[in-house]
Amino acid sequence: MNQTTPTNHLRPDQLNAFIDGELPPAEQHGIKQHLTICHACTLRVLSATQLKAATARAGQRFAPPPDALARLTAQLHAQQVKPEQRPQSNQQPQAETKKAARIYSMPSLRPAAWAALAAAILLTVSLLGWRQFHQTNALAAELLDQHLVTLSTAATPQVISTDRHTVKPWFQGRLPFSFNLPDATALPPDATLKGADLTYLNGQPAALLLFTIHKHEVSVFLTQRATGPTFAALPNTRAGFTLQSAATPDLRIVAVSDVNPADLDNLIAALVKAQASLQISK
Amino acid sequence: MISQCLPVYAVSLQPRTLRPTEALRTMSPATTHSTDFEQLALPLFTSLYNHAHWLTRNPSEAEDLVQETFTKAFRAFDSFQHDTNFKAWIFRILRNTFLTTRTRIATSRTVFLEDQPDTFDTATGPTPEDTLIRLDNQAALHTALEQLQPQLREALLLCDVEEIKYKDIAVILEVPIGTVMSRISRARRTLRQLLQSQLGESL
Repeated sequence: MNQTTPTNHLRPDQLNAFIDGELPPAEQHGIKQHLTICHACTLRVLSATQLKAATARAGQRFAPPPDALARLTAQLHAQQVKPEQRPQSNQQPQAETKKAARIYSMPSLRPAAWAALAAAILLTVSLLGWRQFHQTNALAAELLDQHLVTLSTAATPQVISTDRHTVKPWFQGRLPFSFNLPDATALPPDATLKGADLTYLNGQPAALLLFTIHKHEVSVFLTQRATGPTFAALPNTRAGFTLQSAATPDLRIVAVSDVNPADLDNLIAALVKAQASLQISK
Repeated sequence: MISQCLPVYAVSLQPRTLRPTEALRTMSPATTHSTDFEQLALPLFTSLYNHAHWLTRNPSEAEDLVQETFTKAFRAFDSFQHDTNFKAWIFRILRNTFLTTRTRIATSRTVFLEDQPDTFDTATGPTPEDTLIRLDNQAALHTALEQLQPQLREALLLCDVEEIKYKDIAVILEVPIGTVMSRISRARRTLRQLLQSQLGESL
């Protein structure tokens, strides 16, 4: 097995084919073997996978105008009406198809076309639903990944402090929004603030607050409500960890931990309450 | 007794509520044909639009391009082989349609000049640009994707966004699979360089 010797690193074309799932099973397996012993290649694979995922997200960028699908189906159905009945629309030059659809679709909106329109709307709704499901699943994975990283002993928070008056100002200028932290006495019993990190969720900046409750680590993510991802459709548990979320007028809050859900609820409630006092003090 | 019942039974089968033309349309093979087409094509609408937008760089041209693609694909649907990849088939029509538009004619000169046979990067071992990067800056990636040579971007988007296999990308782009691989490889390398020059140390 040559591939398992550390000197036999992945070639760039092999690396690409590997992350794209294009290698024959034997070669794929050989590379996996190599990765178990080669730290450098593992880092490269991780980095390439990250770039691929980020490209997928950034590349899916342009959404069609809301009425474009209806226009398209109307055009398709106009096309399906017998050609001899509608000679002029079928002989339009290709480049004018959109205009043609707009002009000629009205008289051809027969029941079949209306049904198609309804089907198109249903389809749009289900596509949106599918996308949201897909996104929330990816989001749950991202949240859990970030929480697991904080559990590693090597990971030290960017700001280490149990004092809310140290942690909160640290975020000034680092985040495009502000938030409030509850006083230590307002936290649930045995819950302690350990520190915080600046992080990113779904490409948006977020504050990651690290707490412990009864020695269980808790990651709390705060994002801006206007731009941050929605947490409403998140699963309640993932891989044995509890995910709890809440929203205030300005923020979305989600906590990840293996502590019991009731304690997590109390912590979130304390955080939500603290935001209310921010509103009053404004 | 039976002879009396039979005509009644037969009459009840007549679709009286439908006018003859409508009945015809509901039952005709052309309708199942178009239903098949729509079931395959409509779910790809958002993907095709997104890709068309990347090709044309213009929302209105993207919509025109998608409409024309659907029209052409519908007309040519008889020639589609049902055991082959429909997504690759319709993306190929999208691309060929795009090739005949003004936008493409304007940009083609620079693109074709660079379309030379590619060689693989044969350097072994980790390079500095392979170091772990944090791709948390969406805006930087958008800029980098926009700066990427259209030909490389096209291959990369088909691979990463549309999750189309190399062999089907080769069909869409009408190039050998080796060219697909080297375009994707070059696209990723260039993207990384663009990101690094944009973000400098923060990578």
